[in-house]
Amino acid sequence: MTVKRADYDSDDDSSRAKRVKVEANGNGNGGVKMEPSSNPYLAHWNDEPKKNPDNSADRLYSFKRHGTNAKQAQAAEDGPLNPFTGKTLSKNYMGILKKRRDLPVHQQRDEFLKLYQESQILVFVGETGSGKTTQIPQFVLYDDLPHLNSKMVACTQPRRVAAMSVAQRVAEEMDVSLGEEVGYSIRFEDKTGPSTMLKYMTDGMLLREAMHDHDLTRYSTIILDEAHERTLATDILMGLLKEVVLRRKDLKLIIMSATLDATKFQKYFHDAPLLAVPGRTHPVEIFYTPAPERDYVEAALRTVLQIHSSEGEGDILLFLTGEEEIEDACRKINLEAQELIRDGLAGPLQVYPLYGTLPPAQQQKIFNPAPPPATPGGRPGRKCIVSTNIAETSLTIDGIVFVVDPGFSKQKVYNPRIRVESLLVSPISKASAQQRAGRAGRTRPGKCFRLYTEVAFKKELIEQTYPEVLRSNLASTVLELKKLGIDDLVHFDLMDPPAPETLMRALEELNYLACLDDEGDLTQLGKLASEFPLDPALAVMLIVSPEFYCSNEILSLTALLSVPQIFVRPANNRKRADEMKDLFAHPDGDHLTMLNVYHAFKSDSAQENPKQWCHDHFLSVRALQQADNVRLQLKRIMERNELELMSTPFENKKYYENIRRALVAGFFMQVAKRDGNGKTYVTVKDEQNVLLHPSTVLAQESEWVVYNEFVLTTKNYIRTVTGVKPEWLLDIAPNYYDIDGFKKGEIKNALQRTMTKVLRKEAETKGRR
Amino acid sequence: MAQSDEEEDYMTMTIEEPANRETNMQRIARKRREAQERAYIKPKAEREAEEEAAREASLLTPLPSTNKGFKMMAKMGFKQGDALGKSENARTEPIKVNVKEDKSGIGLESERKRKIREQFEKAERDLKRSKAEDLDYREAQRQQMREKKMESDLYRAQKTTERLDEKDLGGKDPSEIRLKSINLLWRGRERYRREKIRERKDDQQLRNSILARQPTYEDDDEDKDYQTALGREELVTTIDDDLEEEDQEFEEFEALPIIERLEKVLMFLREKHHYCYWCGHQYPNAEMEGCPGLTDDEHD
Repeated sequence: MTVKRADYDSDDDSSRAKRVKVEANGNGNGGVKMEPSSNPYLAHWNDEPKKNPDNSADRLYSFKRHGTNAKQAQAAEDGPLNPFTGKTLSKNYMGILKKRRDLPVHQQRDEFLKLYQESQILVFVGETGSGKTTQIPQFVLYDDLPHLNSKMVACTQPRRVAAMSVAQRVAEEMDVSLGEEVGYSIRFEDKTGPSTMLKYMTDGMLLREAMHDHDLTRYSTIILDEAHERTLATDILMGLLKEVVLRRKDLKLIIMSATLDATKFQKYFHDAPLLAVPGRTHPVEIFYTPAPERDYVEAALRTVLQIHSSEGEGDILLFLTGEEEIEDACRKINLEAQELIRDGLAGPLQVYPLYGTLPPAQQQKIFNPAPPPATPGGRPGRKCIVSTNIAETSLTIDGIVFVVDPGFSKQKVYNPRIRVESLLVSPISKASAQQRAGRAGRTRPGKCFRLYTEVAFKKELIEQTYPEVLRSNLASTVLELKKLGIDDLVHFDLMDPPAPETLMRALEELNYLACLDDEGDLTQLGKLASEFPLDPALAVMLIVSPEFYCSNEILSLTALLSVPQIFVRPANNRKRADEMKDLFAHPDGDHLTMLNVYHAFKSDSAQENPKQWCHDHFLSVRALQQADNVRLQLKRIMERNELELMSTPFENKKYYENIRRALVAGFFMQVAKRDGNGKTYVTVKDEQNVLLHPSTVLAQESEWVVYNEFVLTTKNYIRTVTGVKPEWLLDIAPNYYDIDGFKKGEIKNALQRTMTKVLRKEAETKGRR
Repeated sequence: MAQSDEEEDYMTMTIEEPANRETNMQRIARKRREAQERAYIKPKAEREAEEEAAREASLLTPLPSTNKGFKMMAKMGFKQGDALGKSENARTEPIKVNVKEDKSGIGLESERKRKIREQFEKAERDLKRSKAEDLDYREAQRQQMREKKMESDLYRAQKTTERLDEKDLGGKDPSEIRLKSINLLWRGRERYRREKIRERKDDQQLRNSILARQPTYEDDDEDKDYQTALGREELVTTIDDDLEEEDQEFEEFEALPIIERLEKVLMFLREKHHYCYWCGHQYPNAEMEGCPGLTDDEHD
């Protein structure tokens, strides 16, 4: 179980202070609310707009809040001065404005405003390409006028990248600089300022803000974008906002979705009005296979090559499930295509992989134009993008005409019965399949090749992808909800409540971690843990680490466990990569090995040229730098909560033991014991047979191990493991290791033996005294 | 070592029964056996199967209400069997976890997986049954024998009925008749035959389409026969549709206890065809003179 959705709150207090500043020096036309006429020191402000009747800012000032129409807003948009800053508008602005007015949403601006003004909650449906994410928030600004009330408009996004790039785009459209009137706030980064009136942010960030400001008082309108993706944070936010709107009648809420299933949102929000804007899409013809495929990857490759050799111009998008599968497919397509080209059966083909962990520079390559024909007038060249489902919704690639859909994606699953949260290759939903097909119709009519039968589409695929809340461990969510003041978790009104056992497990885990008492109330430790945007086990480990004299090291370790894999193991150089990893290996396990890597990375010699150093040692410089950043963020939270940072002297022989003990304090529920003398381990309490992941550096003789992750594949693996002693388990987590609560078997016997040994030792030392 | 304060009392000390003590030889043998068991490294396949079976078993076992989380939820007003939230039809079971083991496309469900699940469910059923049935073993055996005999009697009686009925069909092959218009008493036989035929056909179709993988997509220009030959065009027959159709009457009949079904068939044979199954003879008239009675016992 790794760290989840950790949205680092960028120092709340300071940003609140910033808002106060707005009111104090109120730039432009802001701050008028506080009746400057009564303040003699501000008299000069008061009449400034009146002196300059041509100032378009004046026009906005005369707007009646929640009483404007499209015509008024457009007149203000036309300039000549920027209505929000009073500055002269750039040439670029006018060019973009023209394009903006061509977007489908623009046609319905008046209709939108009317509904927005009439109701507190509005459901807005706009297909991809309708312009909803960039335009609707701006429509709102001209009517809600948040800057005149020292409020803001928030627009949430499920993904960090989207929040950043959309904010950048909208800042350009409004002719302001990013971080001023328009900003964004994502984990690790807060790019907003005192004049910010429109804030794009991840849904997780807004949720964390709610933890400190239950009514979200700094916002006058909240827009939940991409709600159809049903991320965990969006679902929790919807449940929360449903209650907030009752308490705050002045707060407006817009739910934006890209799919027509929006009636579900409507129903959930007490039949809120719905406005739908058609997207700009072309028809897509769908083809099915006549029989189920034996091997979907092979079938996909065959289909891609067939399209390339027999179809007309247009790029190909192939959906596969993960990095390894994608890289492998790219290699094979390249080989086969070269043969076709050599034989003169097809034009040039450029293949690009696309997945989340790919470095941004390489991700960017997918936007390169397709190669031209080999000879003028020859067979058309094309590009083929082999992608995970990130190309399904989050990225728009123009020029795609052919989509190949084998029908699978990697999806997170969680089952409370075996406590495993894992990414598994699973069949997609019908909705997903339609979304994928739609990708072929962005530029012109396209074709979608589904590598399954029509019967299978109808019978085997579920209607909608399960929302994340049904597929996640809810321990950290429960902690957040508790902090949000939601006490009756059983009746919290979620759109799709998870199975009761999921909540049961989460409560139990939090109770063992001492974050909740037996009544289900937040303990002191629980309150503290909720301050950290971490999985509760990690947060608890960090908080108690000073008791083990190693909070510095545990802080680094927590950061390392919160970022993507730091070790790089390229397919063509595995041996060398493993040799390099061995340089850092610690015989007691992977956690300590990671720590060794981090310490080496921070050494002066490595910092001289971190990129080169990481490259030489087969480490991901991005992941390590990110870990550095996370460490800093977490350190601030620790300092704010007066948690002491300390280390055991390195020469002390307990240096590593202390770290391992602290590890147990957080991860005592993720322990496995070796089964007999064999290779297999058995997890404590759940009694699942598991193997150590081949990547481990741990020597085999470790009888007991803590693990960070249970990976479900064809085999059960535990990944990132470190050896521990059973005495520590009994000592550090006596509640969980209450021997009477164990089923009969080897684990119980072993614990019993340990207990006897401990008691005997105690008696001995007592006897000696 | 923690020593007890008192001296050991030799007078009241019980001496262990020598019979229970294992001899040196026995101990060595036991130790060797135990060591062997420990040292035995299970073959990969066995290990994986065990791993998977354990996982599937855990996935089918709900958390007990002794769970601490359950107690906390109970304080919030939760009762066993409830769902969370305020919406209707909220789920009460976690989402199933399916581990994909190969690259098979959608629609080709892995057989092995299904089998493991079925085995587990069967084992559980058997366990329940063996607990519930506290019958004397011999009684159970006898019961089983009786049922077996009844099954074979039913099979043979149905076969006879079909043979005798055939004359009434006027030479028509039963496979050309709509299932529902076939005599309920032996409809199951015809159903079974049709299912077999269909299975074979499905199998062939699948094989054909695998052979005909290149090119995969339908080409309108291809002529119809060619498509049929490649298995792209389904050969649709009425029989297939017939099988799909719901047949409530038949289902009800099949659900009857075997003894009742047998009785019905035997009575039909007597009344319609003046045939006594136990005599194995068709009598010329309804009187059925010479037949000792209705039951097996009466025909010795």
